[in-house]
Amino acid sequence: MTLFGKLYNWVELRLGISQVIEKEMTGYLLPRTINSWYSLGSVLLFAFALQVVSGILLLIYYVPDADKAFKSVSVIMNEIPFGWLIRLSHAVGSNLMVAALFLHMFSVLFMGSYKKPRELQWVSGFTLLNLVMGISLTGYLLPWSQLSFWATTVATNSVGAVPVIGEFLVEFIRGGKLVGPPTLGRFFAIHVALLPLVIAGLIAAHLFFLKRTGISTPPTSDTATAPQLGNSYRYEKHEGGIPFFPNFFLHDMSSVAIYVACLLGVVYFSPYLFFTPDSFVPANPFQTPAHIKPEWYFLANYQILKIFPSEIIGLTVQGGAMTIIALLPFVDRGDKRYPLKRPLFMACAIGGIALFLALSIWGHLS
Amino acid sequence: MKEDERRLFLMTCIGGAAVVAAGAVAYPVISYLAPRKGKDDSGVVTIPEKELPSDGAKFFQFHGKAAVVVRKMDGSLSALSAVCTHLGCIVRWEAKQGEFLCPCHGGRFATDGKVLGGPPPRPLEQLKVTVANGVITIG
Repeated sequence: MTLFGKLYNWVELRLGISQVIEKEMTGYLLPRTINSWYSLGSVLLFAFALQVVSGILLLIYYVPDADKAFKSVSVIMNEIPFGWLIRLSHAVGSNLMVAALFLHMFSVLFMGSYKKPRELQWVSGFTLLNLVMGISLTGYLLPWSQLSFWATTVATNSVGAVPVIGEFLVEFIRGGKLVGPPTLGRFFAIHVALLPLVIAGLIAAHLFFLKRTGISTPPTSDTATAPQLGNSYRYEKHEGGIPFFPNFFLHDMSSVAIYVACLLGVVYFSPYLFFTPDSFVPANPFQTPAHIKPEWYFLANYQILKIFPSEIIGLTVQGGAMTIIALLPFVDRGDKRYPLKRPLFMACAIGGIALFLALSIWGHLS
Repeated sequence: MKEDERRLFLMTCIGGAAVVAAGAVAYPVISYLAPRKGKDDSGVVTIPEKELPSDGAKFFQFHGKAAVVVRKMDGSLSALSAVCTHLGCIVRWEAKQGEFLCPCHGGRFATDGKVLGGPPPRPLEQLKVTVANGVITIG
């Protein structure tokens, strides 16, 4: 018997690993019609892990001090061996992760996978999207560049539109009247400790919901409907389906490889795609640069605030839209899952995505 | 080709690719984590002679470690490692006694590095020192 075989037997006797492998891997059956969109969850798990690992590596040299932060990032980029690779992977990775999250959400929307009994998966997933955008926003300040400083000034300023407590909230978030060293301390703690923990916990909950409901069947025929809820809990089985391992695991790995190729493609061939010239100038609280814009995924929000004459109306419109999306499974309660059998929903969804894209492009060009 | 041979071939290819990929990840990560060489980690250190107090010692970094240059009773200079040979604490100059004291466990050293008392097993390491045109060169 080989050494590996002996080791496996030793563990098997104590933990019954083969049972776990059978239940969770080779015996975990998925629908035969499963498609590539279903592998976006694994891509996102990988993306999150990569952000955590690259973030920990950056922490070794990054100094969260307003006088030293910009210099420390410059040192990482220019002096530490492969520091540029770690930092760019982290910065580009955050953008690609948001993009993958949007794709994951769109696939769930179009396939009607948010419908019962998967309401909790949708709510936890949508909350995760917002938390990832939050962690990106807080990470944006850390390099302490002109872009970081002024984008954070604009972003935190918009909270001031909240009636009565707006001014207090802005000051509370910033740790002072203006963005400054206390803001960096707060954002640093939120970015490296609080949000990663909350996101990891919510990912665990999201996966738990998935394991309990079972994976949804892709709506490949016009008769596809959400399962009826009986009087007791029911797991959606896929008898005669394909095993997760090795079949869909390899599919997941292919999708992860495509994600890595996209990430490295940007890092090597267009490393400053997500950076503007203001990213390379240290923060100066006395000099506001022209045309400060947020990251691409906040451009629609930015443009909405510009369109409406009153900031509070702009915020209310955004809050309303977000609430409807968050509670979508409770708003759209129809059973039909096949896209063409849901013309009203599809028109609203495509219209919403088109509006989001149009506002983002408008925000970018304005 | 038999199915078993094909499977073995594929497994070998995947294993090889995984090893290459692991190496491609490990090399930059290890390089990133490796201790950095400081600007004064090699070569010589120069100190203007006027910076050395007449009855004192001047501490500085030499090859990444603490070192000290001191004027001896006869007026000549002595450059030593400031790392105590007992447990690695940094010695302190005691001007009144004209000797070095390790504050950790009371080791005492003369200006030429010899052990005068306490637990240190060896003298302080001596460094090469020269003086020319008012500049002290160590190393």
